[in-house]
Amino acid sequence: MEQLNYQDKTLFVSGELSFQTVPDLYEQTEHLLKDEQPQRIDISAVSRLDSAGVAFLETVLAKAKASDSSAVLAGASEEQRKVLRTFSSQNIPPEVITVKAGYFEQVADSVLKGCKGFFNYLVMAADIFYWALKGLFSRSGQKKGATVQQAYILGAQALPVVGLLSLILGFILSLQSANQLKNFGANVFLADGLAFSFVRELGPMITAIIVAGRSGSAIASEIASMKVSEEIDALKMMAINPIRYVVVPKFHAMSYVLPVLVMFSIIIGMLSGMLIAVTYLDVSLQNFCTRAINILSMKDFVISFSKTVFFAWLIVSISSYYGFSVEGGAEDVGHATTQSVVSSIIAIIFFDAVFSLIYL
Amino acid sequence: MNKENKQEPVIEVNHLVAKYGDTIVLDDVSVQIFPNEITVILGGSGCGKTTFLKNILRLQEPASGSVKFWGMEVTNLEEREFNDRILSRIGMLFQSGALLNSLTVHDNISIPLEQHTQLPDELIDTIIKTKLHLVNLDNVLNLLPGELSGGMKKRAALARALVLDPEILFCDEPSSGLDPLTSLTLDELILSLKQQLNMTIIVVTHELASIHRIADKIIFLDSGKMLFAGTLDAAKQSGIEAINRFFNAEQHTRP
Repeated sequence: MEQLNYQDKTLFVSGELSFQTVPDLYEQTEHLLKDEQPQRIDISAVSRLDSAGVAFLETVLAKAKASDSSAVLAGASEEQRKVLRTFSSQNIPPEVITVKAGYFEQVADSVLKGCKGFFNYLVMAADIFYWALKGLFSRSGQKKGATVQQAYILGAQALPVVGLLSLILGFILSLQSANQLKNFGANVFLADGLAFSFVRELGPMITAIIVAGRSGSAIASEIASMKVSEEIDALKMMAINPIRYVVVPKFHAMSYVLPVLVMFSIIIGMLSGMLIAVTYLDVSLQNFCTRAINILSMKDFVISFSKTVFFAWLIVSISSYYGFSVEGGAEDVGHATTQSVVSSIIAIIFFDAVFSLIYL
Repeated sequence: MNKENKQEPVIEVNHLVAKYGDTIVLDDVSVQIFPNEITVILGGSGCGKTTFLKNILRLQEPASGSVKFWGMEVTNLEEREFNDRILSRIGMLFQSGALLNSLTVHDNISIPLEQHTQLPDELIDTIIKTKLHLVNLDNVLNLLPGELSGGMKKRAALARALVLDPEILFCDEPSSGLDPLTSLTLDELILSLKQQLNMTIIVVTHELASIHRIADKIIFLDSGKMLFAGTLDAAKQSGIEAINRFFNAEQHTRP
């Protein structure tokens, strides 16, 4: 018996609508309704209905509604209504099926979101800065010894990585320049170039990037998981400002520790350069040292230092911002951590360029 | 609703509306909570119980409505004033315990004492020991939260919530994730707090056994609306369908 019948804009369905029959029926319907969509789907002659049948009816109805929104399902018995209610996806709120936003709309949306996020970041950064400044004069609202502890975690533990990378970087840089300098017989200028680039650029930037990846991610994930496990809320309920209690010690610690790490990086980088100069370029040790010291002025160190402190603030504020922005579950912690590292590194390189422009 | 009790309510919530984005989570909820009673806020999952707590405690800003503690409107209080005048008299036990994971039990419990009092360390240590003893938890002082069982964590968190002798204690699902025996001891603890320390206690839960043990009053929420406030017996006789269904769920689970 034919189960489908299309007359006067009405699709009559009869017989069994089940997992067994629906696959064939669906194909037939596609064929039958190639050119036209029904306004009414009549199921009064359906003898059996299961969840596949309901899915079938809903799909056909949705397509019919797409061409004519007044399309209806008709002729359901009391029994069938029950089945429809049980298996229907219609109780999913209609907002779920939204119209996909247009391209420009999407662009505008993400720009707007970005602006809002940036604004929120500025607000939080101002907050952190305010409490950090206040925290210089009063330790209340902080845990005793937290700054020292953070300095150890964020700074001292980063020494090996910073040292190793500076060493390698110093080797690479001096070997590459050594080859060029040798051609011109300008061996001794290695000291000038190395000192200048390590103090003004490489030291601060490389160290900041390493610390952003290592300690910044630690800050973001720590705060994010505190947020997820309600620890931040618990602090608030104990009338403790979470920024003051959690962020300010890190902020202080990072501001003290990052310049030290940068100095360390510069020294290690210079030492490895010195090694290359003495062994490979036949520059005397004394010559190297005097040139390196003479090329540098106080101004270079001031620039280097101010840059470094600024990077420290960037790392802490960006990581904290992403940490606090986590809503919901544990899976967001990883996302926030990644975001914080990416944003910190971008910000560091961007502001490094800005500093280079300012202090040309 | 409460003719025999002429006392002033400690907490009075009027027409509270809370939203997540455009979704209304709490719709016009008005509640009064009276001193020295255990009020249980109940309802199925997702009915807005935790949101209700967070909104009256200003962990989230309500969309509209008023919240009064001891007759004082708090929704527009400055953060500092709210901390000094309200939060200092409140303790809260979070669902997960919310002990700071990087600190030992001792350090966790000492946070409020260190931050809000000038007590010397020896007295702080003594107070911490008393509070831990109060929640039947000894010899855990130097353990980290990660080394405690779920029930011990909750009790340690309870000790922290009680450390400044609060007048009101909020408990967000104290027995969730605990075995029946542990949740029984936690309930007994809550009852004794009320009896011995005259505390006002607000408990959010959906554990029927727990409700029967501790509730003086219940507030029933269903999909963001308050359906009922009053005693447990009155709730059962109220004839409201959602409430009947909720309490009948228990009979179905017991053959």
